[in-house]
Amino acid sequence: MTRQRAVESIRSLRTAAWLGWQIESNWATPFLFAIYSIAKPVAGALILVLMYTVIAQGGLQNPLFPQIFVGNAFYIYVAMVLMGVSQAVIEDREHYGMLKYMYVAPLNICVYLLGRGVAQAAMATVAVSITLLFGIIVLGIPMPPASIDWGMLFAAWLFGLAGVAFGGILLGGIALITARHSFSIGEAVAGALYMLCGAIFPIDVLPRPLQLLGQALPLTYWLEALRRALLGAGAGELLSSLADRELLLILAGSTILLAVLSVWFYHWAENLAREKGLIDMQTMY
Amino acid sequence: MSSPTRWEIFWRTVMGRAYPRVVGMQRERSWLFFETFLPLLQVSAFVFVYRAIHAPPEFTGFVVLGGAMTAYWLNVLWSMATQFYWEKETGNLELYIIAPTSLMAILLGMAIGGMVGTTVRALAVIALGLLIFHVEVSVVSVPQLLGVFLLTLVALYGLGMLFSSLFLLYGRQASHLSNLLQEPIFLVSGFYFPVSALGFVVALGASVIPITLGLDAMRQLLFPTMMAQFRFLDVRIELGVLAMLSIGFLWLARRALSHMEDLSRREGRLTVRGQ
Amino acid sequence: MSTELAVKTEQLSRVYKAKKREIIALDRVDLEIPTGELFGLLGPNGAGKTTLIKILTTLLAPTGGRAWVAGIDVAQNPWEVRRHINMVSGGESSGYGLLTVEENLWMFTQFYGIDGKTARTRIREMLEIVGLADRAKTKIYHLSTGMRQKMNFVRGFLTNPQILFLDEPTLGLDVQTSHTLRGFIKDWVGKRLDKTVLLTTHYMYEAEELCDRVAIIHNGRLLACDTPGNLKKRLKREVVFRLEVTAIATPEKLFQDLRGVRRFSHAEVNGHTELHFILDDENALPPILTAIQHSHGELISLEKRDPTLEDVFISLVGRSLKEGDGSAEAAEGEP
Repeated sequence: MTRQRAVESIRSLRTAAWLGWQIESNWATPFLFAIYSIAKPVAGALILVLMYTVIAQGGLQNPLFPQIFVGNAFYIYVAMVLMGVSQAVIEDREHYGMLKYMYVAPLNICVYLLGRGVAQAAMATVAVSITLLFGIIVLGIPMPPASIDWGMLFAAWLFGLAGVAFGGILLGGIALITARHSFSIGEAVAGALYMLCGAIFPIDVLPRPLQLLGQALPLTYWLEALRRALLGAGAGELLSSLADRELLLILAGSTILLAVLSVWFYHWAENLAREKGLIDMQTMY
Repeated sequence: MSSPTRWEIFWRTVMGRAYPRVVGMQRERSWLFFETFLPLLQVSAFVFVYRAIHAPPEFTGFVVLGGAMTAYWLNVLWSMATQFYWEKETGNLELYIIAPTSLMAILLGMAIGGMVGTTVRALAVIALGLLIFHVEVSVVSVPQLLGVFLLTLVALYGLGMLFSSLFLLYGRQASHLSNLLQEPIFLVSGFYFPVSALGFVVALGASVIPITLGLDAMRQLLFPTMMAQFRFLDVRIELGVLAMLSIGFLWLARRALSHMEDLSRREGRLTVRGQ
Repeated sequence: MSTELAVKTEQLSRVYKAKKREIIALDRVDLEIPTGELFGLLGPNGAGKTTLIKILTTLLAPTGGRAWVAGIDVAQNPWEVRRHINMVSGGESSGYGLLTVEENLWMFTQFYGIDGKTARTRIREMLEIVGLADRAKTKIYHLSTGMRQKMNFVRGFLTNPQILFLDEPTLGLDVQTSHTLRGFIKDWVGKRLDKTVLLTTHYMYEAEELCDRVAIIHNGRLLACDTPGNLKKRLKREVVFRLEVTAIATPEKLFQDLRGVRRFSHAEVNGHTELHFILDDENALPPILTAIQHSHGELISLEKRDPTLEDVFISLVGRSLKEGDGSAEAAEGEP
């Protein structure tokens, strides 16, 4: 039974990843894809650049700028993967009319949704890389390869990506029991978390209650770990008391907790959807 | 019974198509959370960035105003420009095409219907700014402010109709175009900072997006002291340009929709599904 | 029936250009449908029926020839054509899930400029006729497929179009619902001499039951066009047999060279082979029975019948609509 489940899960992941890529790679021309891959992340980065240039003392030489730039760059994963995984529910249900068939098939639905997010994760990796390169080459952000803590970078990256993916599962559960305007739920939640996780400013700036919320998010520790790995230092005072190892442990633990909660919530939403006949509902307006 | 005139069909279509939007939002209210409350947090993020770098308090007002107008831009991109793609996928588009009505009437109906939700979001952001972040405004001229806002919307929705003609032809590929138009437009239109920071030439180019001049003019009318050093063009010039953009985009949209419909009909794309 | 033409096509063609080849969806179709007629277009999947409907309803442009609906050129003046038409397709999923049946129908009437009071009255009456009156306030995502199709059916008739295009309207519906809808169509056209219906179907009995005239289309070409009775009379001189035998491996090899066999088709049904023969005369039958015996097949039943539209189809196309590969070559096709 366990072996069968494992086989089903692997099959679900593989097929979903392939399907996700087929859908996402449906471009008019590769040229447009190239423009999209560069223009979108660079534009996002430039918004911050300009805000600093116009206002901050020292402009881009402000010591906070590299921290914020790195946080903003990696945050691309959050928007894209949250969106990719949660939108798969709406797309399959309302657009392709396939969700009901996924539920009838012997596949692991959570793994299937994770697989659907793989293409978005791949595209996000390209976008993040381009943004970081832009920062290093054009904006002169110092990130010499010799001083990067690659081990910490890889560990943080892996846990963070997993956390975001499971966050997408949680949102997918919400999408399952709401109308199609929750199509933008991934993006909306990513936008909201932008404020709480210290992506573009240290969470020290937030009022205390919001700081506590921020400290409860795995994303906060993820971005802090990535900054330390790439730049040698984090942003703000609040998290500076945590050693690297402690940071990674908190990240790992909170990610595992999020994963468990997300899967549990998704199955709860699934049962509710089955009871109310929502799995094949159409809510276009 | 006499045949209805073209104008009668036009206005009935507008009302008919606005109805599902308005009613749909009432029947499933989760959008209040996803499309109103959550975006407030995103706007707040930019407010805190300015606080982190010790920006003058007026910049909070700039962000709040930009956040409010973001609602309209996203509505144009996703609930208007891409809408024909969704309608095609569900089989509604062909029923619209064979009806003796105009696609512009359908789009206008969508815009009016969608505006209810969009305006709720915009007002929520403004309320956040006034109540939570204590943004202080000094309104220079209410008529000018209303004029700028309305003209910005007319021009913006005209642009949205123009974009929607692309979706008639390009289907899902055009949704990537919409995606592409989010962050770059947030950047060049000065959603979160005065557009003059981009330099005259870039700001001038960005003025083709109605929100650029609309935001700049509204900021001048609400934060005159700070905007004295950051303004792009005089408010009256910006009003004039917005008026021309309104007329221009609506005219272009009409032509483009007709042309794209013809082209789609020739290439057999009006009823292609499952892209 | 009037002498005015509701629909006319002249050498109407539609060619799709794929990467390395051309797909001829419609091949020089000439058609004339007078006002007041219930006209059927019969053909298998991929024959070109839907392509023709799409051109006539201004959803698709022809690549050759011309077409007029209500006397208006569909390519030159599509907007004007739309004032006179409506369309219902089978297997439709159109409509807005969060709206009720009544609301969806009302919305579509607005696109035709029908005032609210008239619209609501018509909706009430039509829903009563198709048996959906008790579902008027139901959101359509709660409806079954059959109910949804009934709703779409009503949508097509609500605007009281001069010419109505029904593209496989009973596709996928149960027997009872299909029967109800066919009755509705027949009644609607029967009572209104100025209304025309063009119905596409691949159900023979539907065409025979409803249509004043039927055109048979295959591979984009119009092979025949006449009343069902006249089409069947074409086979008057031939003899039609239906045989059921135990399964035979390669019926094509067995029968294709036999004298007197004009056309035949076969289908596997419940483990048996069903054979339809159009023969020159009854003398062609004994060699068939001998061939069956030699192939170790057993005759289960034999029936001599009057020709049906399906037989006409087989005689023109060389195979049945249900499939089962042909025998003799397909007809060149003559109206």
